[in-house]
Amino acid sequence: MTNAVELENVSLVFGGEGNKPVLAVDTIDIEIPTGQFVAIVGPSGCGKTTILNMLAGLIAPTEGSVRRNGKEVDGPSRDVGYMLARSALSPWRTAIRNIEMGLQIHGVDKAIRRERAHELISLLHLDGFADSYPSQLSQGMRQRVAIARTLAIEPNLWLMDEPFGALDAQTRLTVQAEFINLWERSGESSVIFVTHDLEEAVLLADRVIVMTARPGRIKSDSLINLPRPRIIDELRFDEKFKEAEHKIWKELRDEII
Amino acid sequence: MKSSDTSSSPEPEIGQIDDAEKPSSSTQRFDMSTITEVPKWQRVLNAIDLPVQFIRIGLFALIIWAWESRWIFKGWTPFGFELFPEIIPLFQGVPSEAVDFFQEMWNDSLFWGDFWVTLQEALLGFVIGSSAGFLVGLLLGSFKKAAKVFSPFLIFTNAVPKIALAPILILWYGVDIASKVALATIIVFFIVQVPVQAAVNGVDPDLDVVATSMGATQYQKFKFVVIPGILGPLFGALRLSAIYSILAVVLGEFIVSKRGLGQRLLYETNNFGMGKAIALITILAGLALILNAIIGLMESRFLRWQDSEARGKVISL
Repeated sequence: MTNAVELENVSLVFGGEGNKPVLAVDTIDIEIPTGQFVAIVGPSGCGKTTILNMLAGLIAPTEGSVRRNGKEVDGPSRDVGYMLARSALSPWRTAIRNIEMGLQIHGVDKAIRRERAHELISLLHLDGFADSYPSQLSQGMRQRVAIARTLAIEPNLWLMDEPFGALDAQTRLTVQAEFINLWERSGESSVIFVTHDLEEAVLLADRVIVMTARPGRIKSDSLINLPRPRIIDELRFDEKFKEAEHKIWKELRDEII
Repeated sequence: MKSSDTSSSPEPEIGQIDDAEKPSSSTQRFDMSTITEVPKWQRVLNAIDLPVQFIRIGLFALIIWAWESRWIFKGWTPFGFELFPEIIPLFQGVPSEAVDFFQEMWNDSLFWGDFWVTLQEALLGFVIGSSAGFLVGLLLGSFKKAAKVFSPFLIFTNAVPKIALAPILILWYGVDIASKVALATIIVFFIVQVPVQAAVNGVDPDLDVVATSMGATQYQKFKFVVIPGILGPLFGALRLSAIYSILAVVLGEFIVSKRGLGQRLLYETNNFGMGKAIALITILAGLALILNAIIGLMESRFLRWQDSEARGKVISL
């Protein structure tokens, strides 16, 4: 079976034209098998988002090879869903029309995209808010709409860039639980979940990659052997979870402190 | 945790939650039935806000009275400064004189001819100038290199007091409507181009990233991200443009023209027809308000997602 994602000797240099060149990502190798949930943790500016941008086909690596399903990435693709840290919803579109946006871009028939959007609305407990504008929604609801928009195109690679960073602790737990449910029932989708919250990474992911501060390199790569399906609000108090988090924390603290 | 009641837990353990200390009033609930709903007529009345309306009407009556009684023409010279000069009777005009002329002009086909000329000039200038301003603003906002090349030329042209071009435009385009349309077009162009270009640059870059990652084409990005994102500033500019296009054509008509309300206004003023002049000025203002209101209606249709307060309302009665 081919890997969902392969990064081979990938480096990326920003700037050059007028600005001093900055090495953002330094010779990274990552292989992610299909269906794996990988969290990337690291301090700000460690090149986490840059890796997602390369996988989404928004920027090309300065050196090395970025592959999806064995094929070199050469631009955006419908197989990839990319969710940004801020919900980045179109303020002039209602919730449901925001969810439909990706399908609209791909020319999907209106009736079909409505149906798909309604499905996601009930999966993410947004019933009754389909026709609300983003300004009328709470932060948590906006983030749910953004998740729905990302998943509406049915991608098999989910790129999540600190998607829950702006949420308060209570809301975050609920949205995390909904998200993990969606993924567990999606079958073979692979997830790359960037976060600076180690607890979140260990709660959700199969595998946690810790990166160093600029230039971004891989510091550690650990598998999290916690059973699925995960009930994350309870898992937080599980001894095995705490042990796993502590082990990775020891590696991360050198980068932060 | 408070431990004032020592008898129930003599040595509270750290981290232990004492159920007995829950607030005793927690069973009491606020009784909503004590709140009576405000009746509909009351809410309508509140929305109308009678005190505000009374003060408005009072102020309006005061202004008309001060004018009609010719009180404002007496002059006012506080501390030796001639703030309001005294006006000689020949130059005085009062609202009641203007009212008589409204009726007269309504039945005058020559007046309607002038009205259509001015309306035509203003509308053409508005449509051509704002379309061109919109397109150029959109393109220069989207293509940074082109903006870099053209911006010094545009900044200089915009710095020219456009009215100074009016005599030249009349030489070039003649004394009929074309020269007035040209003047209005130039003025309106910059009113729209500058804010549209700024608005394109101000569109949330995250929205662009989202659309790009979804595989949107350049055209789709215009349609789904850029155009909806600039509608607010665009409508603000269009409202101003409607008013300024009328200003431009009236000015153009003042300089040289055969027909038009501006030309008629200049004629009446030169012949001391103050009542007619006031009537004409009122009609021009009414025309601007109507155009403004039409754009306002389009704005509320397109910008339904914004609440009414965020919309830059020029008229709000």
